[in-house]
Amino acid sequence: MAKRFVPSSIPMPIQVELFGIPRQRAGASEVELDAQDLGTLLVKLGDRFPQLEHVCVEGGRLKQGYLANLNGRQFVSDPETILSNGDAVLILSADAGG
Amino acid sequence: MTDVPPGYHGRYLRVELSTRRASDVPIPPDVLRRFIGGSGLGTWILLQETPDGIDPYAESAPLLFVFSPLVGSPLTTSAKFVVLAKSPLTERINDSLSSSHFAIAGKKTGYDAIVVVGIADEPTCLVIDENGVRYESAGEAWGLSSAAATEVLKRQLGAGFRYAAIGPAGENLVRYATISHDGRHAGRGGMGAVMGSKRLKAVAVRGEATVSYHDANGLVEYSKRLSHESFGPATAKYRELGTAANLLAFNRLAVLPTRNFQSSTFAGAAQLAPEALAVTHEKTRASCAACTIGCEHIYQLGGQQTGVRMEYENLFALGPLCGIAVPDVVLAASQLCDELGLDTISAGASIAFAMECADRGYLAAPELRFGNGDVVLRTLQQIGHREELGDLLAEGTRIAAGQIGYDAADFAPHVKGLEIPGYEPRALQAMALGFAVGTRGADHNRSGAYEVDFSEEYDRLNAGEEIVGPAIEKEDRAALMDSLILCKFLRGVLTDYYEDMAEMLQLVAGFDVTAAELQQTAKRIVTAKKWYNIRQGWTPEEDTLPKRFLTDRLPDDSGPSAGAVLSAERLQALIEAYNVARGWEPTGFVPDRSLREFHLG
Ligand code: SF4
Repeated sequence: MAKRFVPSSIPMPIQVELFGIPRQRAGASEVELDAQDLGTLLVKLGDRFPQLEHVCVEGGRLKQGYLANLNGRQFVSDPETILSNGDAVLILSADAGG
Repeated sequence: MTDVPPGYHGRYLRVELSTRRASDVPIPPDVLRRFIGGSGLGTWILLQETPDGIDPYAESAPLLFVFSPLVGSPLTTSAKFVVLAKSPLTERINDSLSSSHFAIAGKKTGYDAIVVVGIADEPTCLVIDENGVRYESAGEAWGLSSAAATEVLKRQLGAGFRYAAIGPAGENLVRYATISHDGRHAGRGGMGAVMGSKRLKAVAVRGEATVSYHDANGLVEYSKRLSHESFGPATAKYRELGTAANLLAFNRLAVLPTRNFQSSTFAGAAQLAPEALAVTHEKTRASCAACTIGCEHIYQLGGQQTGVRMEYENLFALGPLCGIAVPDVVLAASQLCDELGLDTISAGASIAFAMECADRGYLAAPELRFGNGDVVLRTLQQIGHREELGDLLAEGTRIAAGQIGYDAADFAPHVKGLEIPGYEPRALQAMALGFAVGTRGADHNRSGAYEVDFSEEYDRLNAGEEIVGPAIEKEDRAALMDSLILCKFLRGVLTDYYEDMAEMLQLVAGFDVTAAELQQTAKRIVTAKKWYNIRQGWTPEEDTLPKRFLTDRLPDDSGPSAGAVLSAERLQALIEAYNVARGWEPTGFVPDRSLREFHLG
């Protein structure tokens, strides 16, 4: 995943879409957060929905059993993954079996 | 039999329905260690018991119910059994898992497996209990659903038995008929039709035979720990939402097969999702015997007493695949499949395929249109009873396509005759490989390669040979889990997969197996299944996908999967790499050295 420097003053609205257990716990299917990288986004997600903290996210990372996906296309986990204006980050339960 | 390992009885029961003779067949201890139980041991028994090139409905064709060393132990999710036979749908090996009390009671009969050959001269219930084997008439139960038949047989036989039974679809030789026990099904590949061909309505088991454990105290401690961990976050999805939770995520990723695989997103997904169903329908949870996870989510259908189990696969197959967005239709269709004894994936896919044929004018059926719920319900009835169009669709999409003609075979959604489950192969290309090479056909339970697609390291829309190793690893793990047997929904709980399984086998059976030996065991089991298929006439041409997936791009409105396609050349390269990595010929034939290495010759 390409990384690039983005000045921190630029607002960066990111659409976070929640699925499965994250949606269940948060009681919401989506939320817009301002973040320039995945780690910051996950910290803000935990702040916004404290019930996700220690369950799905912890310290700017996803807990085991959960996945993040950028725009439905690329699964990502590196907290330094750079996000772009208008990106959608999907937070999913990892286990797809069924 | 002093050398029988703990956890086993060291023998199987062989029942001849035509002559009403039953005999005990010892299983060598080294076979138990090499094939473990369940799917692995069943494959070994099938290899001994099946004449090459046999008709799946032949008198000498065996039908197996196989237990495992873990059944009856305190290990969570271990109450499982496998039904194996040559599939009438694929003409290849078929192993279908099911759960709960039948597994526990079956093992208590004192056997590691029950093998049924022959054909009864009247509808029969095979009874195996502490007094031996007997053959009860199932005349009154014939024609009934498995649940209703079980009630009739309970009154007839008295208390204490557990039943595996077929419904009307099995009796009518629908090629994807199931065998049911307590609302759970050995679902795929038509095991119910094989049972029906033997005029065997039900198997009733009861017993008192027990097995010892190598380290009983250690096993109890280990089991407590495993049960405790099974309450954790790794299984939360299964407990709280069930597998149906996949629906919205798959729709967003555009991997949700829709309208007979013409699309991979469905506008009606939100209405069908478990999150919505839980609001509009009363819901209860249930679990198999000896399970601490409890993934079964049962929804109440208006005005009915019994609920309907909703899994991702029946939801996808009877919903988006047929263009149905009305929850009550999907619930009613699932219930109908349960009552008739139909595999929901194959039934939904057969109807969806017929809908596309009707759209194209290949079938004169004006009402058979995507989204028509009444027609889905009516057609399921017709399939179960082999009436009108249902008689054709009861054959499965491969045979139906051959009879319909035109280019129907290009979009009949199956591999080796087994209809494709709810994972769009063009947008999940590691899974596409898993489907193509699968020994029982397109199957998400034997190949877990979708986990490779849903990972950061690989590109699900442009799979290269780097996915082959991980795809094999997922297939091997599934083969092992299906042989111990443990529920796959436990897999997120195991910290070190092979080490954990080695420890369980050590505690139960006293096998001093290492993780490395178990990796070899998994490969042996996969190769044994392939060897069975080769003996039944397998050819390399079978390992492919229908033409649609190799030539037609996913539509432009397929969100993140727009335009995805997997070319025939690329799929072929993946298959060859898979075969070589398995130690087979590039064509997929198993060389003598592999047969020797795995003691399969
Ligand atoms: S997790 Fe579900 S399928 Fe697995 S054993 Fe438990 S209830 Fe049965």
